[in-house]
Amino acid sequence: MKLSQTLQAMAVGASLLVGTMAPVRAAEDTVKVGVLHSLSGTMAISETSLRDVLLFAFDEINAKGGVLGKKIEPVVVDGASNWPLFAEKAKQLLEVDKVAVVFGCWTSVSRKSVLPVFEKNNGLLFYPVQYEGEELSKNIFYTAEAVNQQAIPAVDYLLADGRKKFYLIGTDYVYPQTTNLVLLEYLLSKGVPIENIGGGLRKDEAGKVISAGKYTPFGHTDYQQIVAEIKQFAATGDACVINTINGDSNVPFFKEFAASGLTAADCPVVSMSLSEDELRSLPTKDLVGHLGCWAYFMSIDSKENAAFKKNFFDWLKTAKVQGIERTNRVTCSPMVLSYDGVYLWKAAVEKAGSFDVDKVREVLESGKITFDGPNGLNTVEKNHHTKKNTYIGETKADGQFKIVEEFKQVYPEPFLKGTFVKE
Amino acid sequence: MMRPYVQRSLCLVAAMAMTFASLVQADESESSARQSAARAILASESEQAMIVQDMAANPSPILGPIFEAWQRSQVYIYEAPDGARIPFMLMPDGSGSKAVRIDNGEPLVGPNGAPVVVDEATMKPVETFAKLRRAMRSTMDLLALADPAPATRQSAILKLGMKQSPEALPILNARLAREQDKAVKNGILDAIAIINLASPDPKMQIDALNQLKKSNSVPSRELVAKMAADEKLSPKVRAAAASTLKAIDNHLFWVDFFGTMFRGVSLGSVLLVVALGLAITFGLMGVINMAHGEIMVVGGYATYLVQCIFGTGVALAPFGISVNIPGFGFDSNSGIYQSYFLFALPVAFFSAAAVGVLLERGVIQFLYRRPLESLLATWGVSLVMQQLFRLIFGPANAPVYSPAWLLGSFSVGDVIMNYNRVFVIIFAVAIVVGTSLLLAKTPVGLLIRAVMQDRTTAACMGVRTRKVNTLTFAFGSGLAGLAGAFLSQIGNIGPSTGQTYIVDSFMVVVVGGVGNLIGTVISALGIGTLDQILQTGLRNPVIGKVLVLVGIILFLQWKPSGLFATKGRGLEN
Repeated sequence: MKLSQTLQAMAVGASLLVGTMAPVRAAEDTVKVGVLHSLSGTMAISETSLRDVLLFAFDEINAKGGVLGKKIEPVVVDGASNWPLFAEKAKQLLEVDKVAVVFGCWTSVSRKSVLPVFEKNNGLLFYPVQYEGEELSKNIFYTAEAVNQQAIPAVDYLLADGRKKFYLIGTDYVYPQTTNLVLLEYLLSKGVPIENIGGGLRKDEAGKVISAGKYTPFGHTDYQQIVAEIKQFAATGDACVINTINGDSNVPFFKEFAASGLTAADCPVVSMSLSEDELRSLPTKDLVGHLGCWAYFMSIDSKENAAFKKNFFDWLKTAKVQGIERTNRVTCSPMVLSYDGVYLWKAAVEKAGSFDVDKVREVLESGKITFDGPNGLNTVEKNHHTKKNTYIGETKADGQFKIVEEFKQVYPEPFLKGTFVKE
Repeated sequence: MMRPYVQRSLCLVAAMAMTFASLVQADESESSARQSAARAILASESEQAMIVQDMAANPSPILGPIFEAWQRSQVYIYEAPDGARIPFMLMPDGSGSKAVRIDNGEPLVGPNGAPVVVDEATMKPVETFAKLRRAMRSTMDLLALADPAPATRQSAILKLGMKQSPEALPILNARLAREQDKAVKNGILDAIAIINLASPDPKMQIDALNQLKKSNSVPSRELVAKMAADEKLSPKVRAAAASTLKAIDNHLFWVDFFGTMFRGVSLGSVLLVVALGLAITFGLMGVINMAHGEIMVVGGYATYLVQCIFGTGVALAPFGISVNIPGFGFDSNSGIYQSYFLFALPVAFFSAAAVGVLLERGVIQFLYRRPLESLLATWGVSLVMQQLFRLIFGPANAPVYSPAWLLGSFSVGDVIMNYNRVFVIIFAVAIVVGTSLLLAKTPVGLLIRAVMQDRTTAACMGVRTRKVNTLTFAFGSGLAGLAGAFLSQIGNIGPSTGQTYIVDSFMVVVVGGVGNLIGTVISALGIGTLDQILQTGLRNPVIGKVLVLVGIILFLQWKPSGLFATKGRGLEN
């Protein structure tokens, strides 16, 4: 007990020291900005890329004179894929470092962990990764894709493609479960009969559906039974799979899928959590023709995107960040939405003429803050989400997406559960 | 929403009426089809889909490869010096790809008569978009009916049947008359029956139901179930539908049963392959090696490296030093590239065995008879090795491709068997047989058994026990390397992959009875099958896995020393 108290005291002391020492160097001409991502642990593979792109954005802005004449001074902390630690680090950023804004979080659980900290300290968080919705905090701005900017357009595309049966599969946690419940309602409202929705329904004692689809634990490797079930389900030739499996488990899933002779033509899989960054470690040949749906693809053919890619890759070559990966890099939607977030915040601060959270929020909520980014035009709406384009892409053998459909300027709707119910 | 569908199906009907005729006189229609394809490629985006849709009325077989190339982004436009725009596609050639004009099928030549050389990297392909691709698909579906590959024909026939439009009947009947393949023939009969289900004539419906009953047609199950429940149909038809439904469900039950058994055995074989190395090092030698999973991963990375060397090579950056390993640059579709896995197996075995030797000489030889210390030390080694993998190969997983001969599946009476799963079963049998022969029939095996049973006596008889120890440990590690090579075909190879399997392998060895190969085999197959049965029965992989673990704990309460308890230098000494 004694020891742990001492340690705690030491930790507080150390963080105070760091907190008080930094401003000596920083003086008045900088503004502190927090970066809160997992740089170690299971999420590090994905989140390290977001840190990189954020630091790149800061350097880019600083080279052009900063924000309101002040240079951005990043404070990077490591959430270590540990959710309580995320809350602690958020507290440190807001209370000790007194940052003007934080860019960060990937998993929904990390966002839910820091949310009370941001509300208590009236902080400002920009969240860049597609998520399940059903949340609106006055302290968070979601540059991420809401369900109606990712999963719903994907389903629309498959419906228009003549697909009549939908198999839902995901990893066992909040994002897949909520998304699939919304999709279940949406499909029913589109006239897809319940027996055409695969994976199964789970109901509570009252008979209320609490989950739709098939779920596997994180790190699951044996997909034989599930793929056999999908193969039977797809025997009629008009089925497709909506995949919200996260991370590593996609490899055995797609390997099993390819090995059992199912092809993208018989039964396309649309994946919600596989971007170019994840495809780097997947055997992409097994995924050719399957679909992805995001607000950005690296293959978008625009002036802004070409410039963004070139500048980012050039920056990587010389960036002074320890252990940064400099070669074989790609860009992907969560990265670009992080980047957009920085510029949306900058635009709002400049319009407000102040770093004050309340003033910045008021400007952001006006619906007039826009940024023309690598993914096209982003507009912050009153509901703290951004209106932006949605793209559907087909995986190519080189791990890139070929864009097959574009939905222009989709309005974000975070609250979808219960809106499609057809009695 | 409805209108495009109507339009498309009208178009399809017209197309189907003409398909048969046009397939007969292919030559005449070919050049006109080429002309319209070229016209479509050059047209504006708004017109493209319309032109392509019109082409479905006259689907010349030549459209198949053209549309395929177009969808694969291999169609380009050549701007001739005289201003003409000539669409062409790239066809794979012995030495790369050659450009072929779409409008006449001739090679594309420049103004000087020499073939035009294109650089795929800098040319911009003619793009397709969703609506256009759907328009292409109705043509391609019709063409697939005459595809040389039986599987393609069969799936196209099924698709046509599931549309249930009577206009398709003449086409199917015509195909039936010409079809040679027995399975495809049955597929056509089923497709005709599925279409006839929608016929207003009860007799036709009953005949159709009987055909589907005879063939146990799984795809038709939903339609049949609907008929069985349809109050408006005559009782006779409903009774026939009910009996067909029963037959199909019965068939499905057996398909599920045998499928589950097969999957159980294959999962069991994976567990067996993974655990066999441990059965040697832990079971025979009594060394608790927590780095066993990492040795497996060595085999996985070895496979990855062999694959890269057969391909274009790989650039690694261990400790910040960049190392370029050049590759042979074999074409990824060639047979020699596909055979990389056969070369990877021995490489995986010997590299893992080498790591095993290092581990045994460096750490474990000091810790025989001290199981707890060996546990701690090897756990440390496992952490060090994980970090080494991360430094050498990066934190992400290594993408390992399966060779074509391991991809795909065949089915026996609707039970699907994947080639890679069949392979793992054969692979497991081979290494179990090999290992037991080595132990039972060779002089080396005799030495190993002697040392494991009684080290001191063996030493007195002149056996160099240190060498035998090293050799045994290296052999166990080599087996782990083989397991890693195999795992690369079905799952991830990454720095922490070993962690996923270490629990499974200890579980198998402990349940089987430490020090007993037969026990390991039986326990691996048992656990695998139980897992798959629970997964199917409960329709939930999470609860299935939990119940397997609970089952194992209860089993070990009842039989603490596993299925087959043997006396040896196990943990108890």
